[in-house]
Amino acid sequence: MNPQDDVTVPISLSLDPYSGAWNANLAAHLLRRTTFGPTFEQIQSATTLGLAATVDLLLTLPDVSPPLSYDGADAIVAVGETWVQSVFPTSNLQVTEDSRRKSLGGWMMQRINLESVSILEKMVLFWQNHFAVPFASDSRASFNYLELLRSNVLGNFKALVQEVTIDPCMLVFLNGYSNSVYSPNENYAREFLELFTIGKGEQIGLGDYTNYTEEDVLAGSKIFTAWQIQGFGSATETTTSSVFQPALHDTTDKVLSVHFGNQVIPNGNEQEYLNYIDVVFQQPEVARHICRKIYRYFVNYDFTQAVEDNVITALADTFILNNYEVFPVIQQLLLSDHFYDIALRGSIIKNPIEFFFSIMNSTHSSPNYSLPIDYELYLNAYYLCSTSGMNYMQPPSVGGWTAFYQMPSFSKLWVNSSYIKLRFDFIDWMTLWGGIDVGGNKWGVNQLAFLNGLSAPNDPVAVVDDMVLVFCPKGLSATNKAILKWVLTNGLPDFEWTVQYDSYIADPLNTVVSEPVRWRVALTLSSLFKTPEFQTI
Amino acid sequence: MKRRDFVRNMSLASMTVPFAFKNYNYEAISKTLFNVPKMAEDRVLILIRLNGGNDGLNTIIPLDQYENLLLHRANIIQPESSIISLNTETGMHGAMTGMGNMFNEGKLSIIQNVGYPEQNRSHFRSMDIWTSGMMDVNATQGWLGRSFDLNYPNFPTDYPNADFPDPFAISMGYEVSATCQGLMGNFSHTVVNPFDAVNLSSTVGLNDGTYYGSHMEYLTNMIAQTNAYASQVNAAANAGNTLSTLYDASNPLAVQLQYIAQMISGGLKTKVYILNINGFDTHDLQVNPNDATQGNHTMLLKSLSDAIAAFQDDLSLLGLEHKVAGMTFSEFGRQIAANASNGTDHGDAAPLFLFGGCVSNGIYGSNPIIPTQLQAQDALPMQIDFRDIYASVLKEWFLVDPTEIQSMFEHEVTFYNFLGACNLGLDEFGVEKEKSIVFPNPAYSKTTVKFESLDEWVKIDVIDLSGRELKSVFSGNLVPQTHLIPIELEELSAGNYRVHIQKKSGNVSIQFVKVQ
Repeated sequence: MNPQDDVTVPISLSLDPYSGAWNANLAAHLLRRTTFGPTFEQIQSATTLGLAATVDLLLTLPDVSPPLSYDGADAIVAVGETWVQSVFPTSNLQVTEDSRRKSLGGWMMQRINLESVSILEKMVLFWQNHFAVPFASDSRASFNYLELLRSNVLGNFKALVQEVTIDPCMLVFLNGYSNSVYSPNENYAREFLELFTIGKGEQIGLGDYTNYTEEDVLAGSKIFTAWQIQGFGSATETTTSSVFQPALHDTTDKVLSVHFGNQVIPNGNEQEYLNYIDVVFQQPEVARHICRKIYRYFVNYDFTQAVEDNVITALADTFILNNYEVFPVIQQLLLSDHFYDIALRGSIIKNPIEFFFSIMNSTHSSPNYSLPIDYELYLNAYYLCSTSGMNYMQPPSVGGWTAFYQMPSFSKLWVNSSYIKLRFDFIDWMTLWGGIDVGGNKWGVNQLAFLNGLSAPNDPVAVVDDMVLVFCPKGLSATNKAILKWVLTNGLPDFEWTVQYDSYIADPLNTVVSEPVRWRVALTLSSLFKTPEFQTI
Repeated sequence: MKRRDFVRNMSLASMTVPFAFKNYNYEAISKTLFNVPKMAEDRVLILIRLNGGNDGLNTIIPLDQYENLLLHRANIIQPESSIISLNTETGMHGAMTGMGNMFNEGKLSIIQNVGYPEQNRSHFRSMDIWTSGMMDVNATQGWLGRSFDLNYPNFPTDYPNADFPDPFAISMGYEVSATCQGLMGNFSHTVVNPFDAVNLSSTVGLNDGTYYGSHMEYLTNMIAQTNAYASQVNAAANAGNTLSTLYDASNPLAVQLQYIAQMISGGLKTKVYILNINGFDTHDLQVNPNDATQGNHTMLLKSLSDAIAAFQDDLSLLGLEHKVAGMTFSEFGRQIAANASNGTDHGDAAPLFLFGGCVSNGIYGSNPIIPTQLQAQDALPMQIDFRDIYASVLKEWFLVDPTEIQSMFEHEVTFYNFLGACNLGLDEFGVEKEKSIVFPNPAYSKTTVKFESLDEWVKIDVIDLSGRELKSVFSGNLVPQTHLIPIELEELSAGNYRVHIQKKSGNVSIQFVKVQ
């Protein structure tokens, strides 16, 4: 169970509310784990608010407006309008579909780049890693799937599974739409048990995986028969949907294995899958399986037996007690003593999306050109994250990204020798060379906005301290802080920086005084971002 | 329904995802590919990739075929009067005055009709073949990466170190070069601007026994390596010099070559520099509709020619002319017939350039023959295999042992002498090649054994290192000659093996490596 024999185990395994002193380091830890990169101001604000109020804020989900058409290639929808409930043209569908998919990809990154203090986008990515559904051929279907995740991120997990089971994207992804009494397909039925709900245990007999058997896979495949998709690429239907075709349904009795008490699921037509989900969710192992994944995502990849016995068990109890509501589980975790144990600080290496947006979000860096340019810039961020190993809508397999489950490396897999170089190139690109470029419109780090938000921008010692608070989970050595200050001040005495900064503030539009300030911050950030400390959260 | 890739992008399309991390180590073999003789120690190779598939017929123009060319590509052909004559039969695009002068000064050679058998017209596949130097679809190493792997088996873990402080190769830009992909890492260090190195001192002693500490240790090792190379590059660039006034600051290739001159003259020991120019995929508007001497292709060729000429001038002024050789490559040429969009579509063979103070000047290979009648999609057949050019560069420029070179490739290598002008007086390698060899080695899904026999019974097996027979390859009577016997390796797992040849005239056992 423990791949890291050389590490110190957490001292506190308690899920009781954290009752120690609240400070900026703890606030930064909470925000780094639950958002894609807090600003200095957000950390300060959370420090003032206190733990409970900050968690309340994080768990209050904002309203989200749908993606907009932006590139002028959609044959039906005008630029600036949303396409999520619009038909397709009767010819050249692909042109319109490509336009919509690009819009969706850009929009997803825009969502992450918004700076509000909310767990929403972090949870959407969690569920996307859980269900791992790729883009469908109709972006309206992909949008609906993402909406399903988004509107259930902290809701009822059982309800989410019920809906995902017959979601058109899932029906396509795991061949549910071709699963009928005439040609059964086990793909979804297998992953439903193995990955999505109860999880695969050790093999304890022929076709017996502790929590379920091959019989259950077969029974599930019959239970899930007859769900078809419709509306894909349609010139008349404004959305995609799934539909139950009674003639394709297997109406025999389905007998489950001993692990489900040999229960029989009789024919229930379009209600039948719900009855089956009810049976599966009676097993407490479902709660444990999901709580392990939540723990891996938010706390640490490694469970010692002690963590399993205490933390996972307690979270699973909460999950079951609350009838599979996610909210109380996340709330309990984020408030807990265990979550703030120093032995767990910085225990996760940032995934590529966290890496990129921790640079952008924490520095107030958002594009603000026109709708088409902003979307295109965001779309480039999507590609950039894909290039560095995380294509949001194309997890490498139905099991999600390997870094979330692969022993013993886990999140180290995000930074092999090639990826670390790529990250360094991106760092220079985003901090020094202006950033992503669409027709001369650049989206890079906003050095001056970042600097101006710090506690004392004209004091180089304070600037470096604030940077370290925002970006380094366990601080930075005195030597490296001195080097950062040296880079910031170009090796000059501290007062020279103060003079330079003050003259910029006195005449902020004068690039003769602002540019040197901006450039020193750019150089300092690019150095800081290349430290190992920055790579962790 | 199959999973679809996300729509392809424009500005980031050239950034490829690095190869998958392969957990394999070459402990068992020790070869000395780039452990070159003294004379080649400070030699440098420049590779310029013309990305997209360069139209060779609009670059090196067969003047003796002009009439027939006019039949097939009247809308894009260069007017005869604009073409630079290299000799009576062959000309060069009129925008390439710089390289035309280099040809006359003996600093440029042209190799005609370069390609590979059964040309693949996909950009991706063809570029994979060109960068790996192998036809095997499972090949993941680049051709230079293969060489480096043979010599520096514990890369990247053990590098840089006191003996090898500098990057083995430098790829200009943001992307490591697939030519330098090794098994465990890419040997090329990316450099955008060598003057911009800004590094923190390496973080040390951070493993405090927590999960965080174990990450710090892991990350520190990798980052230290990247930073160490950046410091070396930065120091060399600052110590170096550039003297030519011909560089055009608005020509990105020229700027990069100037940086390279600066790094080389500053003493960087990097053996290979790789550059890239995009835009050669000229499906439309290859030339301007009303003036074929102008347009996109003209601009590309002019940038290339001007930049190389300036670089050569610089090397000459710096006294480095005999230490640097350059080569261009592109994934394929283009079709003989132009299309209706004043462009050309993906084709087959094309010429490539070698330049430097040590080229054996001239034009290798004959002009392509342009028939009067064309079939749809006709392009130029291969005359010279690009892998033989790689092999010849390794032999003539880096003075690598021919037997070692043969082991790198799948086909029987032919060496050409077009880069050996500075090797006079040097002891050539023995003409006699090793009689028995397995190539390629390391191999992916297949390899070939080459050996000689008398008129005798021969049995060939693949055995493991303990001598256990794993696979019977051949047994039968052979005539007296040199034989080439292919060996399928699909069913073998990665590891070390021997090809065991039993014959009356003497048994032979040759070790080789199968890569996953």
